[in-house]
Amino acid sequence: MATGGGQQPRPTRPSSFSRVSSSSSSSPASSSSTSISLPPGVRIGANGAAFVSSGIPDLDRILGGGFLVGSVVMVMEDADAPHHLLLLRNFMSQGIVHGQSVLFAGPTMEPRSFLGTLPAPVVQKEGLKIKHDASDVQDKEKGLRIAWQYKKYFGEQTAVDSHNRDRKQEFSSDFDLRKPLERQLLNSQNIECISTQDACDLSKLQNHCFTFVSKLSMKDGVNSNAGRIAIQSLCAPQCGYFEKDWDMLSFIRSLRAMVRSSNAVAVITFPASVLSNSISKRWQHLADTLLSVRAIPDEDKDLAKLLTGYQDMLGFLHVHKVAQFNSQVPVILDASTYSLKLQKRKSLVLERLNQAPVEGSSGVSYATSGSCSSSKGSLLDF
Amino acid sequence: MAEGLIVRSLRDGSIPGEHAPALCLEDSLPSPLASQSHAIFRHLLTSLLSAATGTGTGTGIVLVAFHRSPSFYLSLLNPTFHNSIRILDCYSDPLAWKWNHHPPPPLHSPQNITLLTNLNHLHHFLSSILHLAKDLGAQGHERVTVAIDSVTHMLRHAPLPSVLQLLTNLRCHEKISSLFWLIHADLHEPKVISSFEYISTMIASLQPIVQLPDYANANISASITSLEENYSKAKFNVRLKRRNGRVKLLCEELLIEQGSVKFSSVPSVSSVVAQNLIPKVQFNIQLSDKERMDRANVVLPFEHQGNGQSIEIYDGRRFLTESQKNPISTKIVSLSEQKRSNNNNSEKGEIHYIRDSDDEQPDSDEDPDDDLDI
Repeated sequence: MATGGGQQPRPTRPSSFSRVSSSSSSSPASSSSTSISLPPGVRIGANGAAFVSSGIPDLDRILGGGFLVGSVVMVMEDADAPHHLLLLRNFMSQGIVHGQSVLFAGPTMEPRSFLGTLPAPVVQKEGLKIKHDASDVQDKEKGLRIAWQYKKYFGEQTAVDSHNRDRKQEFSSDFDLRKPLERQLLNSQNIECISTQDACDLSKLQNHCFTFVSKLSMKDGVNSNAGRIAIQSLCAPQCGYFEKDWDMLSFIRSLRAMVRSSNAVAVITFPASVLSNSISKRWQHLADTLLSVRAIPDEDKDLAKLLTGYQDMLGFLHVHKVAQFNSQVPVILDASTYSLKLQKRKSLVLERLNQAPVEGSSGVSYATSGSCSSSKGSLLDF
Repeated sequence: MAEGLIVRSLRDGSIPGEHAPALCLEDSLPSPLASQSHAIFRHLLTSLLSAATGTGTGTGIVLVAFHRSPSFYLSLLNPTFHNSIRILDCYSDPLAWKWNHHPPPPLHSPQNITLLTNLNHLHHFLSSILHLAKDLGAQGHERVTVAIDSVTHMLRHAPLPSVLQLLTNLRCHEKISSLFWLIHADLHEPKVISSFEYISTMIASLQPIVQLPDYANANISASITSLEENYSKAKFNVRLKRRNGRVKLLCEELLIEQGSVKFSSVPSVSSVVAQNLIPKVQFNIQLSDKERMDRANVVLPFEHQGNGQSIEIYDGRRFLTESQKNPISTKIVSLSEQKRSNNNNSEKGEIHYIRDSDDEQPDSDEDPDDDLDI
């Protein structure tokens, strides 16, 4: 089970299928017992693997710490909805905020204009943080003793104490999707943009990636910066190389090799529906971490009855594969489907899907609220 | 309603800052092509042309004709609309068999332009369309829509990525306010169709009302005659991609009589999405902040509250004079959903503790299981 607190001694693992997260995490600000100082925005997690944040704190938590440095993350797009852009934007903003180098490739004539849509981080107010801590402590004291099997659902909330929250803020920030990122951050030198629309083949993009990755490790080996490569819609049908399936696959393979031996993380989004089935499967196999986004139908009464919070949902996120380095133990998730929502209309949160409670006697379901606080409801005899 | 939404969206054109809306009209073999899809195509043409706004003229249309001759289209339309339409003639001579070396003679009607017969270079194509669009714009049409008779014909001459690039460039261009095209879904591989769906904002597909008969059944003759219905009726499925990222699915019935198209609504179909989700959905047992505070405020029905009060026990036989002191309001529900509300709420739930016998000492610290010998 996940236990927080880097200050506690390393807890024993209750089962071999759990992931002990951040039990030996070192914060980038304070120097720990290790002599290696990490580049900004990188954190050491389980099994000695380094993580960078994806820009969405919930996604970091689901994936067990973030995106592994040296891995390739693939996001399967839905042809009907642009949610993959949300993931890409948060990913790139996080890199820029931490001062990491970012390479962006997109199938438009002006990929630089995409940078204008990147969100700015939310500014946390001091007073709010302290109040949160007090109520947490109070709850722990007066907590009811509930059956053990439900403890794991609560463990996630109460395990994070204030110290961890501080460190978490530095590692991954909440982004306000309504505010654009400051211009001076966008004009820095380590942000490159490439257009893939008119390219007849991928050799130009491959060369760019190669120079980008080699620039990362050219600085003195200890303090090299982490890098982020973001490729939007790699197999978009309007690109000139669209029919060359095998060329695209060999590009991904070489990108994987480049990224694995360096401090970079690559996020590639691709519309899986425009590829043939066998080629799409090969793409999916090449990914270290595989996510997919799906659009939800509008004004669907069945879904509204089935799920709580249906009106606020933007779409679904499925986690198909989670990368695992230095370990033979696979990551098994509790749930693989999450809903994308905007909290207070500004920051992206991922929530598990919750079933709306069904009214037994009258057959009406509470589609809007997830709690049955009215006792007019039927009394269930258990 | 579906048709109204489509026409309105095409007519309104693009919102500034975004690409133009694009409609992909698909049909398939079971619902015969020639009559229906073209009927809808023509229907869209006429409704766009006839939408005259109060202030200026209506939409101008640049029609790229591959499948039928330009004169066919002109004869279909009301003569008053002839000024609002420009036709790019790709039907007469796409492979330059007639006008190989000599330039084509000027034609009598000003609206038609014979295409540069070399269709392999689509940038000529793009520039011709834009030229015609500018023409229409100069005439006072504030919105120009491009209609392509069928993309299937275009794909014969040019590879898929260049056709898609052309359509995307048309969508980005400021002179074009909307765009729609027809494609025959059976004649292409699925990935081609999905590529066109990928770049469009609205997808309308025609499906047969009556499916092909199952030949194993004895009743073949009856089902074949019912197939005739397919010639006049079809199911019109529309998928609209909205700005908030959601997809609107609509299904209507289409009836073609005497050249005009009528749409009627049909009871909606249930979504497939819900079935996929059912095993992964769980109950929410998290508490919100307010609920946690309420839970913390509940007085539990222990006899020994630990605050120095005398011990009072309710055993159901005496009248509740103490009820004002501890109105315990909780609800008895399943373990998976427990919520407690505040004391001050006049809620109806109560906990009734009835003692087993009067011999019991109130809340002693002894554990009754102590005498078990394990």
